[in-house]
Amino acid sequence: MKSQSKTWNDPILVAAVAPLAIVMLVFFLIPLAMTILLTFQTTQYYRLQWTWDLKIWTEIFSKPHYWTIMLRTVGMALVCVVISILIAFPTAYALTTRLKTYSAQIQILIIFAFLTDAVLKTFGWILVLDRQGVANWLLSYLGLGPEAMDILFTPTGTMIGMVYNLAVYPMFTIYLSLARIDRDLVLASYDAGASRIRTFFEVTLPLSRPGLYSGAVLVFVLSLGAFLEPKVLGGGTSPLASELIRQSFETRVNWPLGAALTIVLIAIGALTLALAAAFVFRRTPAARRELA
Amino acid sequence: MKKGTVEMNKLLNGLDRRSVLKGMGGMGLAAAGASFLGLPGNASAAESLNYMCWEGYNAPSILDPFQADKDVTIAIDLITDSAGGFAKLAAGASRDFDLVSSDSPWIQRMGPAGFCRFIDDADFAEQYADFYPQFAAPFEPLQFEGKATGLPTRWGWVGPTVNTKFDTLEAWSSYAPVFDSAYKDKICLLDWGDWPIMPLALYAGVNPYEELDEAALGEVRKVLRAAFKNTRAIVGDLAIAQKGLLDGSFRALIGGGTYCTSSLRLKGHDYIQSIVPEPKDGLKQGIIWMEATGLIDNGKNSAVAAEFLKYIVSPEVAKQLAITEATCNLVPNAKAEALFSEEEKKALQMDYMWTAWENSQFHTVAPNIDDMLAIWQEELAAR
Repeated sequence: MKSQSKTWNDPILVAAVAPLAIVMLVFFLIPLAMTILLTFQTTQYYRLQWTWDLKIWTEIFSKPHYWTIMLRTVGMALVCVVISILIAFPTAYALTTRLKTYSAQIQILIIFAFLTDAVLKTFGWILVLDRQGVANWLLSYLGLGPEAMDILFTPTGTMIGMVYNLAVYPMFTIYLSLARIDRDLVLASYDAGASRIRTFFEVTLPLSRPGLYSGAVLVFVLSLGAFLEPKVLGGGTSPLASELIRQSFETRVNWPLGAALTIVLIAIGALTLALAAAFVFRRTPAARRELA
Repeated sequence: MKKGTVEMNKLLNGLDRRSVLKGMGGMGLAAAGASFLGLPGNASAAESLNYMCWEGYNAPSILDPFQADKDVTIAIDLITDSAGGFAKLAAGASRDFDLVSSDSPWIQRMGPAGFCRFIDDADFAEQYADFYPQFAAPFEPLQFEGKATGLPTRWGWVGPTVNTKFDTLEAWSSYAPVFDSAYKDKICLLDWGDWPIMPLALYAGVNPYEELDEAALGEVRKVLRAAFKNTRAIVGDLAIAQKGLLDGSFRALIGGGTYCTSSLRLKGHDYIQSIVPEPKDGLKQGIIWMEATGLIDNGKNSAVAAEFLKYIVSPEVAKQLAITEATCNLVPNAKAEALFSEEEKKALQMDYMWTAWENSQFHTVAPNIDDMLAIWQEELAAR
């Protein structure tokens, strides 16, 4: 306690923290508070009425379809995290080991793909996944018959788009973690008689956890807000929370409902992350020891 | 070496990286400061107008001559959702805008809501004189207690949009194929607010423009559920819908009508047609949509804004408004018809427009629209 009060009396530290604190307050906490306040208002004839009311929250808790969409969103986000990590880890691992010579060139290619507008990339998938698209042409060429694949306007189509747009995040975070691993530790493991597989699971994987976890969190949070992919590739078969929120704000002009759904999504996302963090913490002996 | 090149070299030699960056930074700050202070880009213009509108109204070929003629700058705020545009104005943005072009039910509401000026039809007698008789003053869809809000600017109809290479128009004399198992996964619904809901409600025997009770709303739910079951995709993007229609992935688009047809027809795809089904159970099955332009009541009551309203409905401008890069639509100005080429008339299905008009309801804000949109959301979630 003593050291805390000392810290807060340190004008240099306060001055250093103040800009960030002000930015967070103005651009995050105040808008969040306003969004929460908005949930207690109502609309009449498409105009906001400042009447303190629990009507919106009653509606949200009494209509199961809101929760169906919210849970589907979290489920899709979790699946997207798993698939993205499964793609990103081997890629990042190859970049730091087998493909080290071409690492820079491959990274440039990945960055180009990453920086290409998501709208373009997502619409591009239509040309690939369409019944008359590239993928079906290829399958037909391989003798699998016409229109062998029909995944455009399905949840699978949505997932492909999400993974394609988001897998690059864990690719880079994992790459950074892997690149920082001391090669001597790996060699020491081999010297101690460990096989390649055992070395991977007992040395490489544990040391790459920071990149793995930060990549997973990035994909999860961004997946929760996925809007373009379900809209363009989902064809209404897998409406996610962002579309529900858009409809509430724009089409229904029900801003309190949109605000409440936003808060629900943030809460569910934060809760999921907290549970995941607790799970990871329990499974990490080093972290437990540090706390003890 | 040419004189100009020598001088350029001297200039460049005198510039190091730091001074260039400083200069650029200064320019950036000046630009940011100017925009922060709300200074208009064209400071030389005598007046500036803020215009909220749909695509097409912002075409330089429409705005530039007016800006030059009236010495005015027009700043555009494009809307993608009429209800959203209304809500934005209702939330206080009406103080910042001078003009609005949106769907007519929303323009009609803006007068009584207090953020659009009522206009005196007599002041626009000259413009009304050029309109088709169907749009003559007093034009009921824009009237409230005998007072008009705005003038009609574009229109069309909502009915099945069919690729006649794959299907006959006769098959779409009703919305029955939407629910027919033979059409399973061949239908596309446009996710455009209430547009796809209204025709399906009409097919279910419910007039969505009247006050609905629980039983009627139950029918709307049933018809939407049945349509969703048979539908391949519900898309909001015009390009995706049009692509699917052209390649035959979609046999018909529901809820878009002429708005997603005419531009394709103008590009030579004249086998794409939007029609209006036959009346069913005494209910006309088509829907006439219309856009209108209104004058926002922001306290300034700009005379130039009123001039723009006359300008936007004039025959030459109406013709340009009809044929835009993204969409092609009909206009209420009869004199504009003479300005269209035969190809453009064909693209706009002008030979069919009054048949569609006769067999359609006029699109207004339905009393139970929020209930129907909520049902749409619920059924979509359960899909």
